[in-house]
Formats: sequence, C-alpha cells, structure tokens
Amino acid sequence: MRDFILKRVAAIILPFICTYGFYVILHGHVSPGGSFAGGIIVGLSFIAFSTIYGIEKGRARLPETVLTWTESFGTLWYGIMGMVGITKGAPFLANKLAGIDLGVPGTLSSGGLISLIGLGVGIRVASTIVTLFFTMMEEKS
Amino acid sequence: MTAAITANLPVFVVIAPLFVAFVLPTFARRMRLVEGLVIFVEALGLVGAGYLASIVLAQKGIPIIYRLGGWPAPWGIELEVGSLGAFFLLVIAGVSLPVALFARGNLTKEVGSKERVTRFYVLYLLLNGALAGMAVTNDLFNVFVLVEVATLSCCGLVSARNHPRAAEAAFTYLILATLGSTLVLGGIGFLYITTGHLNMGFSSQELGRIWQDNPHVVWVAISFMLVGFGVKSALFPLHLWLPDAHSTAPSPASAILSGLAIKGYLICLLKILYNVFGHTLIQAFAVHRILVLAGMVAIIAGSILALTQDELKRRLAFSTVAQVGYIYLGLGLVNTKGLTGMLFYLASHAVSKSALFLAAGAMIAATGKQSISELAGIGRKMPITMAVFTVGSLSLVGIPLFSGFIGKWYLILGNLEAGNIIPVAVIIIGSVLCAAYLFPIIRTAYFEPVADEDWQDPGLPQKISLILLAVAIVILGVLPGPFLELASRAAAEFLVLQ
Amino acid sequence: MRILLEKLMANYPYFAAVVLFTIGALTVMTRSNLFKKLIGINIMESGIFLMFVAAGNIRGGAVPILDEANTKSVYINPLPSALMLTGIVVSVSVTAFALALIVRLYKSYGTTDAHRIAEMRNEVSER
Repeated sequence: MRDFILKRVAAIILPFICTYGFYVILHGHVSPGGSFAGGIIVGLSFIAFSTIYGIEKGRARLPETVLTWTESFGTLWYGIMGMVGITKGAPFLANKLAGIDLGVPGTLSSGGLISLIGLGVGIRVASTIVTLFFTMMEEKS
Repeated sequence: MTAAITANLPVFVVIAPLFVAFVLPTFARRMRLVEGLVIFVEALGLVGAGYLASIVLAQKGIPIIYRLGGWPAPWGIELEVGSLGAFFLLVIAGVSLPVALFARGNLTKEVGSKERVTRFYVLYLLLNGALAGMAVTNDLFNVFVLVEVATLSCCGLVSARNHPRAAEAAFTYLILATLGSTLVLGGIGFLYITTGHLNMGFSSQELGRIWQDNPHVVWVAISFMLVGFGVKSALFPLHLWLPDAHSTAPSPASAILSGLAIKGYLICLLKILYNVFGHTLIQAFAVHRILVLAGMVAIIAGSILALTQDELKRRLAFSTVAQVGYIYLGLGLVNTKGLTGMLFYLASHAVSKSALFLAAGAMIAATGKQSISELAGIGRKMPITMAVFTVGSLSLVGIPLFSGFIGKWYLILGNLEAGNIIPVAVIIIGSVLCAAYLFPIIRTAYFEPVADEDWQDPGLPQKISLILLAVAIVILGVLPGPFLELASRAAAEFLVLQ
Repeated sequence: MRILLEKLMANYPYFAAVVLFTIGALTVMTRSNLFKKLIGINIMESGIFLMFVAAGNIRGGAVPILDEANTKSVYINPLPSALMLTGIVVSVSVTAFALALIVRLYKSYGTTDAHRIAEMRNEVSER
C-alpha cells in the first residue's frame, strides 16, 4: 500500500475528489446526487487518504474531537436553517415563504435554503462515514 | 417571540430532543451539563405537551395542523396534534422526565465511562424525539422513518450495558425489529401503490373509494402492518425478543422501553388502522376479531409465562407481554368506550410499568441480587422504593383508586357494548393472574424475615423520580378528568371518520 | 393459467420483489449464522425497495427533471425513488450497527453461530 506512485497520484487527485463531493452536495437540487451522495464522496476522500498514507496520518488530519464537532454541528446546522423560516414568521423549514429569492430555475441559487441545508447534512454524512471507518479499523488491531 | 414559539410548538416538541441529542457528544466530558440539558429538555417537553393538550381541550378536539415548510397537504408533510397526539405527547413527557431524573448520576455503574453514558443519553433523547414524532405525524412514510429511528435507538439502549448478554439481546431485537419494520414498509408500499398518497387523510379517502376493486391488496397491506407492528410491540407469539432485551437493558432503559417505546408502535398501528383503513374496513375485513383474539391469547399466555419467572426484571418483562394483550384487545373493540379504555390503559401501563422497572432497578442496584426469593424483607430496608413498587403493582392489577382500574373498567364496558363475554372473563382472569405474579414479590418484601444487610433507598433524584411516578399513578386513578376526556375524544374521532 | 402468466410477465419487477423478499425472509428464519441473518435482512429490504421503485416507474416516461428540450409528456414518478433513498440509508445504518454487535459478540463468545451462543449462555447462567 505504501507506494510512491499511489501517494503522488493520491496527492493530486484527492483534493479534487473532495471538492467534487462538495459540488455534488451543493447542486443536489438541480442535478442527480445530493447531500447524502456528496457527503459519502467527501468522506471517501478522507478514507482513501487514510488507507494510502496510513491510519495514524489520517487520524492526525481528523482527530476524534473534530469529528465529534462536525458530526454534531452538521445536524445542528440543519436545525438552524430550519429556524430561518420561523424567525420570518413562516413554518419550520420554510424556503420561499421565508422571503428567500429563488432566482432562475436550474441555477445554484434556485434552491434557496436547500443547498445550505444540504451542506449540513453532507458534512454530517461525511464525518459519520469517516468515524465508522476509523472505529472499524481500530477495532481490528 | 412567545407567539412564534407557541405557533411552532408541534414541531418543537419533536425537534428539540433530536437536536439536543446531536449536540450532546460535544459536552461528553462535562457529565453534569449533559444530565442537566437532558432533564431541561424533558421538562420543556412536558410544558409544551401540557400547553398543546390545553389548547386541544379548549378547541373541543379540533386538531392543530402544522405544515412543514408551508406546503399544503397532499404535497407537503403535515403534523397533526389532535386529541390522540396531545394525549400521547403528555404520556411521553410524563414518563420520560422521571426516568431521566432517575438516570441522573446513576448510570456509570451499569453503563460505564462518561462517553458511554453520554451515548446513552443521546439515544434516550433520539428515542424521545422519535416517539413525539409518532404522536404527531400524519404521514405514512414518516411513520416508517420514526419507527426505524426508535428501533435503532432502542437497540442501542439495550446494548448500552457492557455485557455480552446485552449485546446478544440487542442483536436478536435488531434482527426481529428490522424484520418488523421491513414488513411495515411493505404495507406502506401497498397502501401507496393503491392510493397514490402518503398523507393519512388523503390515503384514507382514496382507500374508501377504491377498496372494493382490489380487496386482496388491502388484505395484504393490513396483514403486513399487523405482523410488522405485532413484532415491534411484542404481541404474544411474536414477543420472543422482549424478555431478553428488557431484562438485560440498564434499568432506566428498561423503564423507557417497556413503558414508552412499545406504546409508540401501538400508537402508529392505531393511527394506521383507524385513520387510514378506517373502522368500516376494519369491520369489513374482520380485523377487529383477530385483534381481540390475539389480545386474549397474549393476556393469558404472558401472565402464565410471567408466573414461572424468578428473576425480578424478567418477570416484569413477561408482564409487559401480558399487558400489551389488553391494548390489542382494546384496539379490536370498535366502539368509543373500548377505544377510550385502550388509550387510558396504554397511559396507565406506561406510568405503572416504568415505576415498577425503576423500583426494581433501584432494588437490584442496592442489593446486587436479581431473583425475587433473595429480596426477603427489603420493604423495611428500602421503604420508599418498595412503596412505589406496591403502588405500581396495585395499578397493574387494577385495584380501584389506581390508574389501571379505570382502563380495565372501560375495556370491560366496551366489551359488554360489543357483546363480547369471553374477553370480559379473560380480562378478569388476567387481573387475577397479574396479582398472582406481582403480590408474592410484595409479600416477600414486607412479611419475610429481614436479611441482616445494609440496603438503602437510592439517592435524592431517584427518590423524587419514583415518587413522581407514584403520584402520577394515583392522580390518573383518582382524578382522571382531562386525560379521560382527551382519550374519549380521540376514540370518538376515530369512529367519526368515514 | 395463461392470463396469470401474462400478468406475471407484464409485472415482472413485482415478481422479482416477491422472490427477493421470500429468499430474505427464509434466510433470516432458517440460518443460524449471524452474518447470514443480516444478509437475509438486507435481501428482504431490497425486495421491498424494488417494489417501491417499480411502482414509481412508468414505461416510456421521461426523467423527471425540468428541461425545455424534453418533448415527452409522461414523467417517471420520482417520489418512490426518493423515499427508497431514505430507506437505503436506514438499512445501511441498521447493517452497520448489527455488524458492530456481531464483532462484540464474536469477541465475547468466539463464534458467530446463534445456536452455539445460546448454548454457551445457558452454560454461563448455570454456573
């Protein structure tokens, strides 16, 4: 596994995979995919990093406390975005009713709060997948 | 500010526990803060449920409809706080607050390190949020999701104790419960395919129009639902997971699992049977006969199985199997009195069984002994705990002035109205059997020679929580007023539909 | 008989769903290996997922994305697929949790066979 070519290629490719994951998360409302699929891609980029460079380095990049915080606040972010509607006098999770401009259909801004909510869910999914991976790998040794 | 809160209360009672649950792991080092937050959220839930119930009572049963995201019904997801929703929210909050108080500072012995205790609280709040969601949801697919959240958190609560038997019980529970929820999902699928709606009201209207064209599909949907929820709520022949799961879990978890989690599934089944299929279909397909028969079998079999157990918590767990029988029996009585009795019995069993499990947990924690015969004379060493245990037992048996009596009384009235004689006899025999398996514990505790050991009542929060539950039992039994009204209104609403 | 066969051919996804569901249910009930039980649960769930997705499909329908170039008037119903995405997430979490439990059971009992575990538990409680 500790291969020179693998490491070089991974160093070039992994940032793009991670960015692509965020792209999929943010474009969930206009293209196939969404926060769950995108979150898995983001998580997989970190998992690939840990398998190629070793678990210890992966752990150093993403310590357990960071994972706990992203996991908690990814979900809390969903709640905060849901509250936006309530502060404007509309129901929970309101989007257009909360006075958000929905823009041109088919563009990124046309989802209103959806892509922002998706960001929270995606971060949560990514950190959960990474946590599961670390837990299972450490269970083995 | 207050207007915004009260207008959005139906969604707050569901999401507040969920979001607090997700934030808890970040405070894992500070146990006091975690416990304080949990108790605070539960107290808020009780206040919110009380407020919603008062509004529903004042509106004479007109439900509060909440549209998530502002989308109207066939497209969006609706929350509906009617009489049933308010009633079950009150039950949830009324039981989970004392249980959270009991768990305070008391879990490290059974569960382990601080991280594990925090995880226990996370699952506890998730279960609470899911149950609150079941109480208010009006959407079939939401029912499935909430049922799954509740199932997973229940399995987590069972496996919270660091013991191989707990892991084994949790695995059996997980497999059987997932089998059940797959069946439920299948039933929802058949309903969706035939009606094209996931909203309960629209689905029910559509079903009323077309059920005669394809009765087989409706039959399959009903049977999938019955077996699925039957597995989850431990109806007698499908109860195999329950005794292990409920007796190996930590005591607060046993209390919440036996007291509330099972009731959540029953409320879902009740909603699907009466709000979606409606009482005309139930009678047309003779589902009510099946329910009454299954209930009777469960009462007798569960009681006899409970009689044979010597381990205290296992006896209580088998007693739950028997008590679920009463609720199924009530589900099959298609009249106002029977359904009122069923709902009231559900609330009464929730309170009594959690009191019993918590008292049993306190006794086991103080003595380190599991079996009933070893607890001789404990009534004089731990007076408060044993008094609460006695109150819970009396309520479960159905002695007047305690809550169980009113539920059983209405169940008997409903049976007489429906012209069923055998179920009445079964209810009475069940009460006698219940006395036969609970009163020997009390006799052993009070009238047998005191062992020379240093057994003491638990700490102050535990005492408060036990006393709260005992007071709730007595209040429900002496002044059932608003609860009975909510229950009977909910029952009447089920029969008005269609 | 012929009508029945024709109906089966026309609705073959549902037939496949029933077959999957039955295989899964049989596996859960008859196998004593914990992993096989878990796999059975997963097969059963995929049967149900297939039923939902098949219910949403319309033969000859277009992809349900708003597109000017699209001339077809019939769209596939996207709702069942979206629901099943949720269902798949739930089933993944159930699988992960069950695997964690199996690891714990294997550590304490040294086997993944349900019968052996039950026997060993009885030995433990008799002692």
